[in-house]
Amino acid sequence: MLSYFLANLTFAGIYALLALGLNVIWGMAGMINLGLAGFFALGAYASSIATVYLEFPIVLGVSLGVMVAATAGGVLSQLSLNLRGDYLAIVTLGFGELIRLIATNETWLTNGSDGISGVPGPFRSSLTPLAFNAVACALVISTVLVAWFISERIRKAPFGRALRAIRDDEMAAAVAGKPVRLYKIQAFAIGSALLGLAGAAYAHFNSYVAPDIFRPLLTIYIFFALTAGGTGNTLGAVFGAVLVIALLEGTRFIEPFFESLSGVQAASIREIVIGATLIFVMRFRPKGIFAERPPRPLGTSD
Amino acid sequence: MSILNRRLFLGASAAALAAPSLLGAQTMPIKLGSLTPLTGVGGTYGPSMRDAISGVINQVNEAGGLLGREVVLVSEDTQTSPEAAVRAARKLIDVDGVAAILGTWASSVTTAVAPLAWESRTMLMCVSGADSITQLPHQGFICRTQPNAELQINTAGEFMLREGATQLAWIGRQTPFAELSIHVLEKIAAENDFGMDSLIYEADKTTYRSEVDQILRSNPDFILLGGYAADTVVLLRDLWQAGYEGQIVGPAYAVNPSVLDTLPKDVTEGVFTWEGAPAVESAAYANVQQILGVEDVDPYSAQTYDHANLSILAMAAGEGTTGDTIQSNLRLISQGDGALVDNAVDGLAMLSGGINYSGASGPCDFDDIGDIVGTQFVFKLISNGVASVHSRT
Repeated sequence: MLSYFLANLTFAGIYALLALGLNVIWGMAGMINLGLAGFFALGAYASSIATVYLEFPIVLGVSLGVMVAATAGGVLSQLSLNLRGDYLAIVTLGFGELIRLIATNETWLTNGSDGISGVPGPFRSSLTPLAFNAVACALVISTVLVAWFISERIRKAPFGRALRAIRDDEMAAAVAGKPVRLYKIQAFAIGSALLGLAGAAYAHFNSYVAPDIFRPLLTIYIFFALTAGGTGNTLGAVFGAVLVIALLEGTRFIEPFFESLSGVQAASIREIVIGATLIFVMRFRPKGIFAERPPRPLGTSD
Repeated sequence: MSILNRRLFLGASAAALAAPSLLGAQTMPIKLGSLTPLTGVGGTYGPSMRDAISGVINQVNEAGGLLGREVVLVSEDTQTSPEAAVRAARKLIDVDGVAAILGTWASSVTTAVAPLAWESRTMLMCVSGADSITQLPHQGFICRTQPNAELQINTAGEFMLREGATQLAWIGRQTPFAELSIHVLEKIAAENDFGMDSLIYEADKTTYRSEVDQILRSNPDFILLGGYAADTVVLLRDLWQAGYEGQIVGPAYAVNPSVLDTLPKDVTEGVFTWEGAPAVESAAYANVQQILGVEDVDPYSAQTYDHANLSILAMAAGEGTTGDTIQSNLRLISQGDGALVDNAVDGLAMLSGGINYSGASGPCDFDDIGDIVGTQFVFKLISNGVASVHSRT
C-alpha cells in the first residue's frame, strides 16, 4: 500500500511539473498550448535515448531532455508568434501529434511503436521496488518544490507582471514599451523546459517510453488540473495535479461498493466521476479552486 | 499465584489477539488480477476477456476453492493506454497483492507493465504479439498465449505462396509488426524470385486513395494487410474502388465481424483472414462458450480463460499463492506427459498424478522465454459477407 501511495505521489509530482509548465505558458502569458504531450514526449525521448543508447548518466540525460524541450518550445513560439487563441491552439495541437508520429515512424531513433524499454532509474537495480519508489518520490517532490519556487519568482518579478499584461492586452503592453515578442518566446521556452523536465522524470521513473503514452488525453488531464486548481496560480497548479491523480486513482476504490456492476460499467463510472467533477468545478468555481490574485511587488512588506 | 495468573492472563490474551490474524492468513482469499482494456481502442475485447477469467474463478470456488481458500478476481482497466495501465498495475500489485496479472492486450501496455511485474515477482500473462516482449529480462515472470508476430507473419506468407501468389505487397499502419512483416515477405519474395512492394500509411485517415494507387503500381496479385479494424475498413473500400482484382489476406482482428457488417458484401468478397485458431473442438472452448453465453468466442477471451486456469493450477501444484509459485510451476502443469486436462477444476482433482493443461486457445505449451509453441492457425474466406473456414495449418 505504501509503495502504491509513493508511486502515485510521484505521478502527481510529474503532473504538477506539467501543470506548472502549462501555467507559465498559458496561465501567465495566455498562450494556449495543446501540444503539451509533445513537449512531454520530447523530454522523455531525449533523456531515454541519451541514457539508453548513448549511455549518458541520468543527470545529463535529464538536462538534455529539458534543453531539447525548451529549444523546441522557443522555436515553435517563434514560428507562431502572430497566432493567438484558437489558431495557436491548432498549431500546438498539430505539433503534439507531429512529435508522436515522428516517434512512431522514425524507428532507427525511437524504436517505433515498440518503444524504448529499460530506461535506467536512479539506483533502481540496487533497491527494492518500495525503496525505489521512495527515492523517486523524494526526487520528484524536491524538483516540484524547485519548479514551484522558480514559478513563484517569475510570477512576482517584473517579467511576470509584463507577461500578465501581454496576456490581458498585448497591444497595451507593447505601447507601454514591453518587448512583447521576446517575452512570449521566453515564456514559452521556460514553460516547455518544465514540460520536458516532467517527461524526463516520467521516463526514468517508468523505465519505458512509447508513442502511445503521449496521446492527447494527457494534455486534457493537465488542462483539467490547471483549470480546477486555478489558472495563473502556482499553488493551484500543484493542487490541481494532486487532485487529478487523486480522482483517477481514488475512483478505483469505489468499485467494491457497486458489486452488481460489471467490469465495464465500473470502468465507465470512473470516467463519469472524473468528467462530472470537471463540470462541477467549472460551474461553481470558474476561476479554479485557488483563483489567481495579483501578487504584491517584490520587496514590499506585509 | 497472582503473578502466575497475570502471566497466564497475558499469555492467553496475546494468543487470543493473535489468533484471528493466524487464522486469517489461512482463510484470506487468493487474489488474481485482470488487467484488460475495458475502455479505449481495445474496449471491444476487454469486457469478455475479463468475464472469461471471472467464469473460471467462479467454477473453482464452487468446487471448493484453491488450497482450501477462496479465489477472488480484482479487475482493473488499462484504458488501452500504457500510462493508465501502469497506474492500474501498481494498484493490483501494491494494494491488492495479486499473484498474477492476466490479460494485458496492447503490446505497448504489456511492455510498460512488464518491469513492475518482474520487480515485484508477480506473474504477467498477456495476449500481445510484439516479439520484443518475451525478449525483455523478465526472469520467467512473463508468458503469452498469443503467437509472436514472426510466427504469425510467416504463416500468412506461406499461405500466400500456397494460394499461388507471384507478386506480393504489404500495406499497413505503423505497429510493432510492420517492419517485421515487410522483412518476412521480402525474404519469401527473394527466395521465390517474386516481386514485393510495401507501404506504411498513417493511421486514422478517412481515405487511402493515394496509398492504394501507390501500392497498385507494382501490380501485386496478393496483398497482405497490416492494419487494425478502423483503417482496414477504409482501405478495403478504397482497394475495391480502385478496381483491384487480386487476392487479399488480413489478420482476423482487422477484418473482424464489425468490418464485415460495415462494408458492402461486394467489397469483402474473396478476402482471406487468418488467426491463431482457438481449439474449437475442445471441451475448454465449449466451457468458454458457456461462460460467455456466445457461439463465437474471440481468440483473446479463449486466451484469458487459459490464463486463469494456468495460474490457478500452477499455484496448486506449487502449494503457494505467490507470483513465484506460478513462475516456477507453470511449465510443470502446462506441458509434459501428464494427463490432459482442459479446466482448473478437473486439474485440481488430478494434480497428484501429473497433468498437462490444454485449453481453449490451444495446447498452451511454452518455450524458455515464455512464447507459446504449437499454435494452430485457421484461414477463413469471406463470401457473401460471411467468413467461413477455408483451411487450417
